[in-house]
This record gives sequence, C-alpha cells and structure tokens, in this order.
Amino acid sequence: MKTVTPAFLHRLVPWLLPVGLLLGWQAGTSFGWIASRVLPAPLDIGRALIQLSASGELWAHLKVSCARAFGGFAVGAFAGLLLGFWTGTSRLTERLLDTSVQMVRNVPHLALTPLVIVWFGIGEEAKLFLIALGVMFPVYLNTFHGIRSVDRQLIEMGRAYGLSRWGLFREVILPGALPSILVGVRFALGVMWLTLIVAETIAASSGIGYMAMNAREFFQTDVVVLAILLYALLGKLADVAAKGLERHWLGWNPNFQRAGA
Amino acid sequence: MQIAELEYDLVSRAAGAGHGVAVSARGLEKAYGAQQVLRALDLDIAPGEFVAIVGRSGCGKSTLLRHVAGLERADAGTIRVDDAERRGLGADTRVMFQEARLLPWKTVLENVGLGLPGDWRPLARAALADVGLAERADDWPAVLSGGQKQRVALARALVHSPRLLLLDEPLGALDALTRIEMQGLIERLWRQQGFTALLVTHDVAEAVTLADRVILIENGAIALDLRIPLPRPRERGDGAFAELEGEVLHRVLAREARES
Repeated sequence: MKTVTPAFLHRLVPWLLPVGLLLGWQAGTSFGWIASRVLPAPLDIGRALIQLSASGELWAHLKVSCARAFGGFAVGAFAGLLLGFWTGTSRLTERLLDTSVQMVRNVPHLALTPLVIVWFGIGEEAKLFLIALGVMFPVYLNTFHGIRSVDRQLIEMGRAYGLSRWGLFREVILPGALPSILVGVRFALGVMWLTLIVAETIAASSGIGYMAMNAREFFQTDVVVLAILLYALLGKLADVAAKGLERHWLGWNPNFQRAGA
Repeated sequence: MQIAELEYDLVSRAAGAGHGVAVSARGLEKAYGAQQVLRALDLDIAPGEFVAIVGRSGCGKSTLLRHVAGLERADAGTIRVDDAERRGLGADTRVMFQEARLLPWKTVLENVGLGLPGDWRPLARAALADVGLAERADDWPAVLSGGQKQRVALARALVHSPRLLLLDEPLGALDALTRIEMQGLIERLWRQQGFTALLVTHDVAEAVTLADRVILIENGAIALDLRIPLPRPRERGDGAFAELEGEVLHRVLAREARES
C-alpha cells in the first residue's frame, strides 16, 4: 500500500490547481464576491449546458459550426496540399507560383473580412472562404517544405530501383513529406477554429458564435462562457484527432511512437 | 599457382551459369567544374566476374561506379553492358550504396519488395531468408543494427536477380567482424547467382578477399590491374593472400610517398 499511495498522489498533483480554482470560483460566486454578470457560477454553466442540450438548440448550433469548420478546412487543406505537391515536385511551378504565394501569405486572412462580406454577403460562403483561406497557407507551406526536405539519397535509390514517377511519389516522396504535412494540418486546425469564431461572432444567424452573441444581448453570461468552453473542447478534440493520425501514419518514426495525446 | 588457377577457373565457370553481363567502358571522361575526375578510362569486365576497385578517396572510383550504374552521365566515352550502350538506369543493374538507404516508413519486408511487380511477398521473403533476416520481416528499419540494415539492402538488390551488382563501399561503415561476415555473405550469394559484381572499396584486404581482379585507380585512370588467382573461400592469414594484399598496398602507398 505504501508504494501505491505516493504514485497515486503523484498523478493527482497536476489536477490540484484546476480543481482548486474551480472550487474557489464556485465559492466566489455563491457567496456573492463575484457578480454573476461578470462571471457566472460553474454550476450555472452546467445548468445552461443541460438546458440547451435538452432543448436541442445546442446540438443544432454545434452541427452548423462543425459543418462550417470542416467544410472550410477540407477545401483549404485540399487546395494547400495540391499546390504544395505541385510546387514541391516541379522547379518550374515553384518559380512560377512560390513567390506569389509567399506574398499573399503575408496578408492576414482575417483582415480580408470586410472585403469578403462585400463579395459574399454574410452567408455561408463568406465563412467557408475565410476558413479555407486561413487553412490553405499552413498546409501549403508545410507540404512544400516537407517535399523539399525528403532525403535526396532515398529519391536516388528509388530511381535506381526502377520506380516510376508516380511510384516514386507514392512510395518515397509522400511518406517522406508526411511528418511535415501533419504539422501543417495541426497548425491549420488551430487557424480553422480561430477563423470560425471570428466569422461567427461578426455575422451569423446560427452556430456557437451566434449563440454566444445572442446570449450576450440578454446578459446570459453562463451561455457565453459555455460557448467559449465548447470552442476550447472542439479545438482540443481536433488536436487529439490529428495526433492520432500522426501516431497511426508515423508509427515507423521513433519520435512519434510514444507521443502522448 | 597453375593448379590453383585451374581450380579457380572451374569453380568460376560452374557458378557463372551465363547470368552475368559483360561491361566495357571506353575513353570515359568526367569533370565536375575544374576538377577532372575520370581521364580516358578504359575498363573491361567479363560476364560473372567479380572486380574490386580500390584507390584513395577522391580518386574517382565511386564516380566510375555511378557511371556504370547510369546515375551519372559521362562527358565523353561510352559504357556498354552486353554490347548495348548504357544510357540512364538499367533494369538489369542494382546498386548497393554506402548507406543502406532503407525507407524508414516501410517494414523490412516492404523495403525488400520495393519496385517488384505483382505477388512480391514470397520473393521478398526468400531474399530476406537468403541474408538470414527472415524473422525481422515485420520490423521497422529503425530498430536494425548497421550490419542488419546493409543485409536488408543486399536482399533488396538481389531480389531483382540483377545481372550486374554494383557495390559502392557498402561495408565501409560496419565494424570489422560484421564486415567479414558480410563479405562471406556477398561471396556466397555471388557464387550462387552468378551475377557480375563491381565493388568499390577503400579496404585492400576486402578487395583481395572478394575479387577476381583488383583494379587500382589513381587520378581518374587505372594504375594497376591485378588478377587474384586464389581459391575461394580465401584465408586472410594465408601467405599468397598476404603477398597480393602487400602488392596492392605497396602500389597505393608508393604513390602517396612520391606525392608527399
């Protein structure tokens, strides 16, 4: 027993601070030290969660937000991958396109929001476009860099062992670039949630951002905080999923074999 | 000496079985910038012959091998493989590099089967068994030792039944004991399969152990072409062996002494 208890305590230590803060927060709001307009009590947030999910409102907003996020991500990541493969494998396309892409990349995509609203209005297209644009560049850059940093010796070996151009790409270049591509994907997922939040907060008639802005008008701070927590949770889930992909696809790489989530 | 040579010839012919190709290079020239690496080099290799090229670093021995492989293009001169001029990579030729160059994202078995069409697994398994690594088929290359990696690279080269095997200092990075083991393995598989072999090495003892002929390259040209008429497998401690090794070493060092 003596050997078990310290190990158990040891695992408990990282949770002491968050649990303590949560208890302090609850106590602060219950005893009226913190106004509920400033920060709602954790229990109220829990109540809001139960209420909104029971009425189905929460799931509807969640579904809309996720569809936007992953729709935009799919379009942007696909474009970034394609562009990266293209410039990564051909010197001519690199010369033709890379400078332009690097210039455009330096424009913060969120700065385009007013222009995008003029182009597309405040409908779904505007949000999809902004997310896709934000996602495309990190995926492009890391794909390009990944392909360019594939070991030249392995490529020479592949050629010497009779691989066709497609075979060389599939067996050597793509797997060699994959670690870098996945770094780009993880970075892009962060950009995706950030852009979604901005887009939904500025103009939307559904989604988690809309739910939060709507709640703000009625001073329902519990719903606002719930929306923030939901964004955090979604971001964490996406990151865990990306890490899972890394462990699945990069199992050969000793650096990824024991990477915890 | 006469008897030994006769014996050796018989063994050599029995092994050859007409599988290997003849290689001939004529007037090979190559320069990288101002650096002339190959100078009007002529070389003939008989089908099934094992030729070792020795020389100091930077003498052009690896460059010569890369030309025979079709990995480099000569400035002048031709290379013919079985009377066909070599332009680019040949399907009948396989190269073993100084590094194993295994794909880290493929298992050992998948590495051996790289580029094989159709039902390649049985072939790859057999090749892996030939180099004594059948039980490591499903491991990642990252967990193998240097010697094991080179054995996998050898299996990957031989699974294609090449008619010409080019070895670019493949044992240079291995420890002495592993190197001797690998030499035995290469010799055994060469005698079984009868391909033509061209080995580039900086280790004179290795060249004398394995080769029918040892060629010394100096400043991009052949400075010595010595037949090794010893019966196989060769004993390193043997008097005739030491004499031949000494002869080659003497030539390499004499040159060095003249230059300094």
